[in-house]
Amino acid sequence: MIFFQNRELVIPGQKLAEGKYTVKEGAYREGDEIFAMVVGLAEVEGNSIRVIPLEGRYIPKEGDLVIGVIMDVHSWGWLVDINSPYTGNLLVSDYLQRKVDLVREDPHRHLTIGDVAALRVKKVDERKYVLLEGGRTGLGKLQGGRMVEVSPVKIPRVRGKRGSMLKVLQDVGGCRLMVGQNGRVVIWAKSPERTARIVEALRRIERESHIPGLTDRIRLMLEEGRIGDEQAGKADS
Amino acid sequence: MSRPEKLIVDGRRLDGRAPDEMRPLKIVAGPLRRADGSAYVELGNNKVLAAVYGPREMHPRHEAEPDHCILRCRYMMAPFSVEERKRPGPDRRSIEISKVIREALEPVLFLEYYPRAVIDVFVEVLQADAGTRTAGINAAAVALADAGIPMKDLVSSIAVGKVDGTIVLDLTKEEDQFGETDMPVAMITRRKEITLLQMDGNLTEEEFKQALDLAFKGCEKVYEAQRRALKEKYVVKV
Repeated sequence: MIFFQNRELVIPGQKLAEGKYTVKEGAYREGDEIFAMVVGLAEVEGNSIRVIPLEGRYIPKEGDLVIGVIMDVHSWGWLVDINSPYTGNLLVSDYLQRKVDLVREDPHRHLTIGDVAALRVKKVDERKYVLLEGGRTGLGKLQGGRMVEVSPVKIPRVRGKRGSMLKVLQDVGGCRLMVGQNGRVVIWAKSPERTARIVEALRRIERESHIPGLTDRIRLMLEEGRIGDEQAGKADS
Repeated sequence: MSRPEKLIVDGRRLDGRAPDEMRPLKIVAGPLRRADGSAYVELGNNKVLAAVYGPREMHPRHEAEPDHCILRCRYMMAPFSVEERKRPGPDRRSIEISKVIREALEPVLFLEYYPRAVIDVFVEVLQADAGTRTAGINAAAVALADAGIPMKDLVSSIAVGKVDGTIVLDLTKEEDQFGETDMPVAMITRRKEITLLQMDGNLTEEEFKQALDLAFKGCEKVYEAQRRALKEKYVVKV
């Protein structure tokens, strides 16, 4: 039996259900009952219950794409800030995806302190020790562009169902985006005004992620912005 | 301040309240944008601000625990929070209250989810009028939820006591100072599980049962206010 409306805002400790449901995220089971664990939107999908959190820090998961900032350089690799309570460890061989002779090569010409890189979470152990990797397409050092931090729990909303929101941001907003699960987004756009508009759109997504119809509102906002650009005589591309 | 002749006159307390009446309670979730979670609580003339940072990396590193998260609480009174300026910095009372606040909140947190990390809770009293630790716990619980930290439930807190022989709810400064007993309580309201119980004074077994019952009722009202505060934060005009 379910004790909430779909997408209802629930708080920790609120009773969500009784009976044979599985918990997907954001809730816990005690005997026959299921309670919410975080402030979020409660949903039931078939037999599983989840609470989509509205706040929270990024906790790395294997397979996640993250945007990291290099914090420190060592002989074995790099320490990477991934916007999490846990620091990422990137071994040189994992970054280059091949065996490295540390005596012959200086891998540190690849990445240095302050560099921004797109990386994948290779492994997280029970102590939450995080191993990162690079080397595949799309991963590696990022250049140009502007990095913005968004609440990590809102990232699924930045993508949208089947990438719908992302499409609106890129096509209507006129930019290329790289979205990390850890809440970091890198924007490449032709002008600073366009970049600023995308940043504003992201902030709005953060604020209104729990209100339906957001994708359309963002599309409208970006379209109006583009019209504003044209009227001001800026070239559209 | 000299003791008033009577603390209860014709069934009414000095501030006009009935024995089982709480002071006005106001809670706002998320007033501090920079903190991971925050809450502001007004309980009567008490004004308390709570800020939560975390989970985050533990410093000093060697104090981190490999298999669970540490909860670190700091209760502080601002120098201007009381009539006689309180000298800044921790004192024995603040350290004790920091400890009891931590012990009141720990049972509801899933600390095993964040090994090697720390959750920092700061409770800052801006204006004090007896009941700051209860207001502080109420604020801290809301701030933890506001930060998105997984919790089994909220923790609610209120003080009960005995004044002029009568069991009362939510003591004021005069009642705390001149009454017979002051008993702050914190609990997981839904389950009636107590996470803080302190007593200063004395009560018979019967009086204690009465006081605890009153505390349960008070915490239910507090829980309602906490719940409302968390939900209200997300009412956004589109």
